[in-house]
Amino acid sequence: MSIISVSGLSKYFKVFKHHRGGLGAIRNLFSRQHSIVRAVDDISFEIEPGELVGYIGPNGAGKSTTIKMLTGLLVPTSGELLVNDLIPWKERQTYVARVGAVFGQRTTLWWDLPVIESLNLLQHIYKIPKENFEANLEEFHETLELGPFLDTPVRALSLGQRMRADLCAALLHNPDLLFLDEPTIGLDVVAKERIRQFIQKINHERNTTVILTTHDLSDVEKLCQRVMIIDQGKLLFDGELSRLKDKFGGQRELVVDFSEEYRTYEIAGATITAQTDLQVTYAFERGMITASELIGRLSAKYRIRDLEVREPEIEETVRRIYEERLLE
Amino acid sequence: MRLFWQLTKTSFQRHLTYRTAALAGLMTNFFFGILRAAIFVALYDLQTEVEGITLEGAITYAALGQAMIGYLSLFSWFELMNTIYTGDIASDLLKPMNYFGFWMAQDLGRAAVNFALRGVTVMIGYAFIFDLVWPRGVTRIFAVAVSLLLSWLISFSWRFLINLFSFWTPNARGILRFFFVLSWFFSGFLMPLRFFPQWVISISYLMPFPHMFNTVIEIYLGVLKGPEIILALFHQVLWVLGLILAGQLVLRLGIRRLVILGG
Repeated sequence: MSIISVSGLSKYFKVFKHHRGGLGAIRNLFSRQHSIVRAVDDISFEIEPGELVGYIGPNGAGKSTTIKMLTGLLVPTSGELLVNDLIPWKERQTYVARVGAVFGQRTTLWWDLPVIESLNLLQHIYKIPKENFEANLEEFHETLELGPFLDTPVRALSLGQRMRADLCAALLHNPDLLFLDEPTIGLDVVAKERIRQFIQKINHERNTTVILTTHDLSDVEKLCQRVMIIDQGKLLFDGELSRLKDKFGGQRELVVDFSEEYRTYEIAGATITAQTDLQVTYAFERGMITASELIGRLSAKYRIRDLEVREPEIEETVRRIYEERLLE
Repeated sequence: MRLFWQLTKTSFQRHLTYRTAALAGLMTNFFFGILRAAIFVALYDLQTEVEGITLEGAITYAALGQAMIGYLSLFSWFELMNTIYTGDIASDLLKPMNYFGFWMAQDLGRAAVNFALRGVTVMIGYAFIFDLVWPRGVTRIFAVAVSLLLSWLISFSWRFLINLFSFWTPNARGILRFFFVLSWFFSGFLMPLRFFPQWVISISYLMPFPHMFNTVIEIYLGVLKGPEIILALFHQVLWVLGLILAGQLVLRLGIRRLVILGG
């Protein structure tokens, strides 16, 4: 039984035509000319309980609009949307009680209250039993290292601290479903890693379903088995991350450090893409030759000190998908 | 209900931390009130009573008006509007709570702080300078207290309602300002309503504003007596219910066409 079931979901926005200049301002008052923007256009998917799904796409692709519909903040223009057997926007209050959400760009905590006060208010808002609340708080206190800033007002927190506090706030009521909208935006490497580990842990230990939207593809690579790509309101890809790489990954690379200098480093089945002193980078096609075959050929001909196989970066793959419209 | 009090308490504590702002507001209200009282002294000249209000009554009216500015947030209130424009409303709608109650609880905390820091202090201050009228008798004091509470309920439900304009227009600030100015005039805040011609009074009583301000003043000053008080309180209750109902309906429509900005 799917936890999220979406079929033919669309959201159109009316954008009123704007006339420029002084006369334009007057025309704007009376003009009802508008164009329709299809922010989300007929998308369908199912998500099973316990899945950790990455939802990616370029800016303005329709990611946030989808998340806002899934969280019950926006009313769809058309289509079916059932989460936890509820229609989010219709039964908002019942629905949001079982859901958690973190928006990287804004906090769900009270800006001028100490973190702990916000968390205490949430206990009342979600009617969390005292034992659950205390057990959760203790666990998150440890894993998210909240200790140093529990008594600090939210406005005085660093971005990384605020994100940790927000994550804690979103999970205190043991939601079945967690929406993360760019949870690592603007964070440094260490803070990102900490957040990722935490998300993984929650997903594993509590079987919480997680929907993650992000621009940071290393988030997706480290966390998600399944990825959905949306662009211009259309769902372009929905499947396993490895399948995405196999299909669109393009060339793999082999970097070789030779022990001595040779006149030429040419080898059949691969092309040289870079060369510095004794280090040569080869590119080879997946399906044409395997890495071990290529290494065999090289070591038969040259003396090799060190080598490294580089998989195509997911970043690169997705860039190609966006730019070359590979999926259309 | 526990959540309601919790939110009220938190908001109370939060507003207590803005002591400097409250003090600044207090000083402004206080000195402006002296000016208003002085104008009454000049206007009354040798008359002892105008439209059933004595000079002491008029000065007390000015003092009460100044004391209630903070409590009723008479000059402006854009907090809800701002959350719609910043998109912070998303966080509030993602919480399983009654949206109206959520704001009401917080406004109660705000009103309580303003009542204590800016209301009571202003009255005490004027008591040193002028001869003020004080309500006599347990029943009248009780009626004033009830009416004051109802005033806040009307004021809040009305502010909630007009802030919802921001669901429909990208800049509701101007509209809200217009409504606030309207409220100063028709609530009797600028001048006691009794000083106006009857047709102005009749028009104003078609609006919530006199019930939000004038009623409590007239009960306090003893202009209203016995059954008139009961009737006035009853009208206040009707306005509270009407405004809450309107707020709920408009909120429902607004959320349906909500566009959350940013993110």
